[in-house]
Amino acid sequence: MERKVQTHAKAAEIFCRDESRVDWHSKALWVLREKRDRAAGSLPEWEELRALGSQIKLHTLSHLGQYLETFEANCLKRGIQVHWAKDGAEHNRIALEILRRHQVKKLVKSKSMLTEECHLNPFLEGHGIEVIDTDLGERIIQLNHQPPSHIVVPAIHMKKEEVGELFHDKLGTPKGQSDPTRLTRAARAHLREQFLSADAAMTGVNMAVASEGAVIVCTNEGNADMGANLPKLQLHSMGIDKIVPDMDSAAVLLRMLARNATGQPITTYSSLYRGAKAGGEMHIIIVDNGRSEMMRDKILGEALKCIRCGGCLNTCPVYRRSGGYSYGHTIPGPIGIAVGADEDETHSSPWACTLCGSCSFVCPTKVPLDKIIFHRRRLYAERGSLPYGKGSYMPLVGRFMASETLLNTGMAAARTALAILPHSLLKPMSGAWGKYRELPTAPGSSFEGWLKKNRPELLVKSTKNSKGEN
Amino acid sequence: MKIALFTPCLVNQMMPEVAVATLSVLEKLGHQVIFPQGQTCCGQPMTNSGCFNEAKNTTMKLLNAFKGVECDAIVCPAASCLVAAKENFHEFDKSAEAKAVIDKLFELTEFLHDVAPVTAFRRPLNKKLSLQLSCHGIRMLDLAAPTEYMGPRYNKMEALLSRIDGVEICYPERRDECCGFGGTFSVDEGSVSAKMGKDKAQAHADTGADYAVGFDPSCLMHLDGTIRRKGLAIETRHLAQILDLAL
Repeated sequence: MERKVQTHAKAAEIFCRDESRVDWHSKALWVLREKRDRAAGSLPEWEELRALGSQIKLHTLSHLGQYLETFEANCLKRGIQVHWAKDGAEHNRIALEILRRHQVKKLVKSKSMLTEECHLNPFLEGHGIEVIDTDLGERIIQLNHQPPSHIVVPAIHMKKEEVGELFHDKLGTPKGQSDPTRLTRAARAHLREQFLSADAAMTGVNMAVASEGAVIVCTNEGNADMGANLPKLQLHSMGIDKIVPDMDSAAVLLRMLARNATGQPITTYSSLYRGAKAGGEMHIIIVDNGRSEMMRDKILGEALKCIRCGGCLNTCPVYRRSGGYSYGHTIPGPIGIAVGADEDETHSSPWACTLCGSCSFVCPTKVPLDKIIFHRRRLYAERGSLPYGKGSYMPLVGRFMASETLLNTGMAAARTALAILPHSLLKPMSGAWGKYRELPTAPGSSFEGWLKKNRPELLVKSTKNSKGEN
Repeated sequence: MKIALFTPCLVNQMMPEVAVATLSVLEKLGHQVIFPQGQTCCGQPMTNSGCFNEAKNTTMKLLNAFKGVECDAIVCPAASCLVAAKENFHEFDKSAEAKAVIDKLFELTEFLHDVAPVTAFRRPLNKKLSLQLSCHGIRMLDLAAPTEYMGPRYNKMEALLSRIDGVEICYPERRDECCGFGGTFSVDEGSVSAKMGKDKAQAHADTGADYAVGFDPSCLMHLDGTIRRKGLAIETRHLAQILDLAL
């Protein structure tokens, strides 16, 4: 599915037209947040874990070159082949070359937002290789020709009835069947055929353990494992930010990953892959794709602490009410704005945020998401590429607010208008405010005006401000 | 104590009753209150849009209004504006004079809870209050432990209000989810903002409380516009207005 180039506000406005669907979507995700609260709250040391998780990631990022080299050396010792890709295109070329060398016709793939970021599927399909996403949610959206709308629950935007329709259409399930268990069984039978007929498997990576030369893949369905364990050829794609120093560090992050994502103590499968199967090959492709560039900016760089639990999406009041497709980048929600805003041609996604800060408090590695989003706005302003006409009206607001005369006369006029004019007349001029809410009731005067009349003895003037207008 | 009142532009221009109540509360508690003239906007609408250059003059004008003013504390009945003022003052002026102003800045709730604690109220108030835990107040000023946080629980607004006889305190569902105001967000992202406001207003009304009470006038103004549009049976009040009734 091609993304439309439209601002987040426009996409969100369309999403919001179906209010009952917004309520359903918001609630489905809020349930995950509630489960997360219970799971996190059940560990007395939760906040200590977060602090430790943040320190582990910061330490690793500040010694990234060293850990990546250790990781590679330990992988090579185990016979794992390691490849380096500076961007998505290079990643895709490397993957294609490996697959071609083995005459791969069908690839089963699971749990990789990175391959979404690199647009691997259309690339491989263009070169005659069939790609089957095997995670249930990923398979649903692949059949529906959609990208993920969430990084952990990629088909969260679809109702079970819609999945039933889709499966009826694509997998031949009975019409009208929407029972999740039956639909899952149908998907399972369908996926078994894919696993057995695949020539190669690819997975994403949750963590790459430098001291071991091994990668960890976390799933609930085990489909990634089913894929990786059947064909002789297995590939794992990872961003450079997935490195952790050792198993102790991995253990800290694993204690938080599933708890913060879905409220589970741990994912059903947390598999450590550390070598090819007999007679097979294991490849790891390590991708930069803009990550080291992000690290040059001290604030943006902290986004690389993220372990992709999706907790910030679940708590985000804007994401829940605008959906994953409103952002104009591969990863939606707060972490998507932090790492992917540059993909959004309208430059509007950093404004899809009230700066409420809930995401930063939910984050298991303390990524300062609200600060990063705030910073992204400043970067756009400095580049002169603000959305929503802000580049033209903000200088006027600045002048208006900085002048007491303008502010006082302007606001007095506004109060008068609100007090004497019928609100039906004012609403069309009040834009989005009056469209959705009643206009404020107007007080008779400003507080300062009230003071001058009733308590003039309280008024003082700073010597610094004595020549200011009044 | 001698207190300089900081009334952000929204309070000064559109919600003077909040400032009048704040003045009344502080005077009833025996403080001497002064009002430095020349206060403008904290610059938040501009800096939240990334426009720091456009914010500088406004912010400096506000900061200058307090420089050299003799007082023990500068108190503001608006959490979000106070946070922005603190950050923006520091951003644009690193002088010792600016630091002296920044160090005296307190939001009303934290002032009445931490600095000059109110321990007793004279009059009972038989009202049910649904507390509005606005984002910047709890997550940037530590006025309450946010629900995402798993450390010790605290809530300064509840602590203050629970000292009033007769008051019943309750919370809306999803108690500290954002109300959707977000400054220019309310117009840039009108549909999402309105939906958030509607959900929050409804959640407050569903508690059956008499008032939705908060420390952030901008959120209260947003909720008020939504409550009146939907005709919900609840009204908004600033914390200062409730405290004033009980002192």
